[in-house]
Amino acid sequence: MARSTTADATVRKKIELTILLAPALVLFVGFVLLPIVIAAYYSLFNWTGYGPLSDFVGMRNYTFAFGDPVFVQAIEHTLILTVLALVVQGPLSLGIALLLNRKFRGRGFLRLIIFAPYVLPPAVTAVMWSLMLYPGGFVDQLLKSVGLGGLIQEWLANLHIVLYTNFVVLTWQYIGFGIVLLLAGLQGIPVELKEAAAIDGATPWQVTRRVTIPLLAPTIRIWVFITVIGSLQVFDVVWILTGGGPANASTTMATYMFLDGFRSLEFGYGTAIAVILFAFCFVFSLVYQRFALRRDTAGALTRAVG
Amino acid sequence: MRSRRACAAVALAVATATAVAACSSGSSSSSSTSTSTGASSSSSPSASTAAKVTLTWWNNATAQPLLGVWQSVIKSFEATHPNITIQNVPIQNEQFTTKIPLALQSGSPPDIYQQWGGGQEATQVTSGKLTNLTSSVSSWIGELGSAAAGWQVKGQQYGVPFDLHVVGFWYRKDLFATAGITSPPTTIAQLESDDAKLKAKGIAPIAIGSKDRWPDAFYWEYFAVRECPSATIKTAMTSVSLTPACFTKASADLTAFLKTNPFQAAFLGTPAQQGAGSSAGLVANGKAAMELQGDWDPSVMAGVTTNKKLSSELGWFPFPAVTGAQGDATAVLGGGDGMSCTTGAAEPACAEFLQYLDSTPVQEQLIKVASPGLPANPAAVSAISLPAEQTAAAADKAASYVATYFDTAMPTQPGQNLDNAVANFFAGQGSSTAIISSVTGPA
Amino acid sequence: MTALSARLPARRDRYTILPLTYLVAIVILGVTIVPLLFVFVDGFRTTGDISNSPTGLPHPWVWANYGSILTTAPFWEFLGNSALIATVATVLAVAFGSMAAFALSRYVFRCREALFTLFVSGLLFPIGVAALPLYLLLERVGLLDNQFGVALPEAAFALPMTMFILRPFMRAIPGELEDAAMVDGAGKLRFFVQILLPLAKPAMVTVTLLSFVTSWNQYLLPLLVFTTSSHFTLPLGVATYQSQYSQNTGAILAFTALAAVPALGVFMFAERYLVAGAAGAVKG
Repeated sequence: MARSTTADATVRKKIELTILLAPALVLFVGFVLLPIVIAAYYSLFNWTGYGPLSDFVGMRNYTFAFGDPVFVQAIEHTLILTVLALVVQGPLSLGIALLLNRKFRGRGFLRLIIFAPYVLPPAVTAVMWSLMLYPGGFVDQLLKSVGLGGLIQEWLANLHIVLYTNFVVLTWQYIGFGIVLLLAGLQGIPVELKEAAAIDGATPWQVTRRVTIPLLAPTIRIWVFITVIGSLQVFDVVWILTGGGPANASTTMATYMFLDGFRSLEFGYGTAIAVILFAFCFVFSLVYQRFALRRDTAGALTRAVG
Repeated sequence: MRSRRACAAVALAVATATAVAACSSGSSSSSSTSTSTGASSSSSPSASTAAKVTLTWWNNATAQPLLGVWQSVIKSFEATHPNITIQNVPIQNEQFTTKIPLALQSGSPPDIYQQWGGGQEATQVTSGKLTNLTSSVSSWIGELGSAAAGWQVKGQQYGVPFDLHVVGFWYRKDLFATAGITSPPTTIAQLESDDAKLKAKGIAPIAIGSKDRWPDAFYWEYFAVRECPSATIKTAMTSVSLTPACFTKASADLTAFLKTNPFQAAFLGTPAQQGAGSSAGLVANGKAAMELQGDWDPSVMAGVTTNKKLSSELGWFPFPAVTGAQGDATAVLGGGDGMSCTTGAAEPACAEFLQYLDSTPVQEQLIKVASPGLPANPAAVSAISLPAEQTAAAADKAASYVATYFDTAMPTQPGQNLDNAVANFFAGQGSSTAIISSVTGPA
Repeated sequence: MTALSARLPARRDRYTILPLTYLVAIVILGVTIVPLLFVFVDGFRTTGDISNSPTGLPHPWVWANYGSILTTAPFWEFLGNSALIATVATVLAVAFGSMAAFALSRYVFRCREALFTLFVSGLLFPIGVAALPLYLLLERVGLLDNQFGVALPEAAFALPMTMFILRPFMRAIPGELEDAAMVDGAGKLRFFVQILLPLAKPAMVTVTLLSFVTSWNQYLLPLLVFTTSSHFTLPLGVATYQSQYSQNTGAILAFTALAAVPALGVFMFAERYLVAGAAGAVKG
């Protein structure tokens, strides 16, 4: 009796798994994996996009990339933006999410406003901020009016500042996403736990620090992962705001890929850059998954699921 | 652990199988078995009076008035060629450069499409999809004069221009008057002293859209054209190399010119054509006095200002001479727009349409209504109405030769490298020798 | 609220708001809303007005920008296309993604982690890289100039994010619930549909929102796939509109503001579910 049930269960499990996984797999392999693998194949060639793939160059695109000081600089910029995203946007998103999780009047409206920038197309964000950042534009006027006129810079033209200008605009655009994600995580924390802590005499701040944030850890880990990957790939806003310039002062790996690869009709080189970018993300992803994402509360509170 | 390694192997196998499947199904699909997506139809070998023919036409006229001009041109052409239908597909200019390589790579490119000649066209010809028009146009191409050469690849006509452009200084006559400048400068030294006069009045002398990088290139290229004889320029473009000493002199000229700080504040972040804060907008709104630009600038300016008096306030003067230079003081930098036919398009219908575009009545209509620049057909020059544009046209006619902008004359890759190197130089990065070395030999 | 909390002193019963919190909220509101206001308000201005005083109020108020957009067909066409594509892409991504995430979170089988890594690797490159091969692929299967030619790849590219977010949430649902369902005679799939999905609502809403917004703002893929302008989505439409009205900045901003409204509407709608949440998932 037990044996046949087990056999049935295994077959049933296989059928269920197939039903559950097949649609996603088919879609994914067909429209994501296949094109990507083909693109990676292009990276071994020197190809203008016209005519047949005939100029095989092996790894030359890759060696050239790492020998190009502009690309190395692009990597630096990308890493700077990534670290800044973690260090600045992290606490900011968390604080705002905690704030928005409480009940107060106008909370729904505030949530809408904070999420709205994420909904705006990056092109529009970039155009809007360009208008505000022109010399003598809104930002300059605002600074003057609160007496901080001495801080005014050429936000979009100063080579040393332009990368950080991009960061500010990126934060404005994308912080709503992080907040929404953290809010979803906060909703999953059982109220009973907070109440239990409160009964034990914890102040609201202690409840937040000792109960909420640790339980939010899985969500935070997701946020970190997505933020890092997103920062490594950042393109839209930077491209439209500064085009990676002036003089490559704000290039990212993705803008470099676009400008020095696709725009110059060097598709082989462009996809090689993409593969390098992918490698960065992949290494991070592997390391992160191994060390950070394995732990979560399942098992701590309830029966582990597997 | 064992199962994990096995799984990694499985995943790798999946990926490899995918790769093999992908590659074996043909990596570059110039295959002709693709289904038609509403593109061209049959190519009947006989004269166009026979079977019905449809031609898809990709151009960048998404805006009025050019959009309306093309629509009316199509109507009148179809009226005289009842078996030919032309499908107008306007595509925004920036999107054009993205979509064309893809379309030429696919099995169904558009029948007629817009391109800008020179080395870019040469690159497109390597796709094998462009029709060699030499014999079909031989009867009338001579009317266009030397301009048609810009659309030849190795002496064969693969495209035909329909309008031409020339780059020069557009300036505000009223602002010059305010600064006490009585006539436009004819030498660089005069230009620099005029700049000083404008600055004294609080007017930005020259507006430049450095953010887009290509406006910077105009300056260097003009210095090169002034310093180098025409033969040197021609050779440099075909051999894709900037070794002659005159190019280094051009860089030195540019360095000296940039030292005089002739541009508006924060020019590195200013776009060329978008919005009122662009370089075009600055001149149109009276915040800057001059801009070195192509002859499309007046129509760009019109779109970014409410200044109704602009056309009377605008003037044009050619790039000044460089004292002691070996090159030609009357040479101009320019280019144009043209059209090509692809091999799937029905002939001679396609070539007939191109001929129609260059016919004098159509050219006059084009200039009168849309003023995209100068006509390809010299007979239509009289249709130009904007006085500043007429000055430009006259200079173009009087020029000893027209040098195509280098990033179009050369293939795309070195052309982009040159633009980037010059833009970096404007930003104070990279030496002037970097400009020369940015252009490597043919790939 | 449980009976327990009803007995707590009022001071600890509700999370009272500090004035500091309100201050922070106002600052955040200000920083976020000002650029948004610009987009919205500048839609009522002429280009000349904008260039003369970049940060002023409309003078005069121009209703024509918004008016002409709302009364001409193309805007609604673009809107319809965007809505159709975003809906299809989102439904596919969330449906398939949640199914796959369920399989990867609550079944134990060999190659599970490798498979998950494979899916997540889809997050690791921008869609632009795949543009050229994707275009050729779509041409080969005849999906060019077709809404599905955009919706299907968008759904595929949304799968990694969807699964990446859903899996941990699904995993966190206690196993006891599953056991209880089994005891009641429900199979694993029934458990999935009837119990797990409702419990994972905040996460489901989040991924729905993300997929929808990503699809809504997608520019490159529709650009490549569509040539007939009546098939364009809103971002493409904005670009086309931008060139058709030269650099009429005011009109473009009006168009953009209107284009963002539906996505914001979806957010408002979804927000209610975010608020409802799964608090109280585990009851004694």
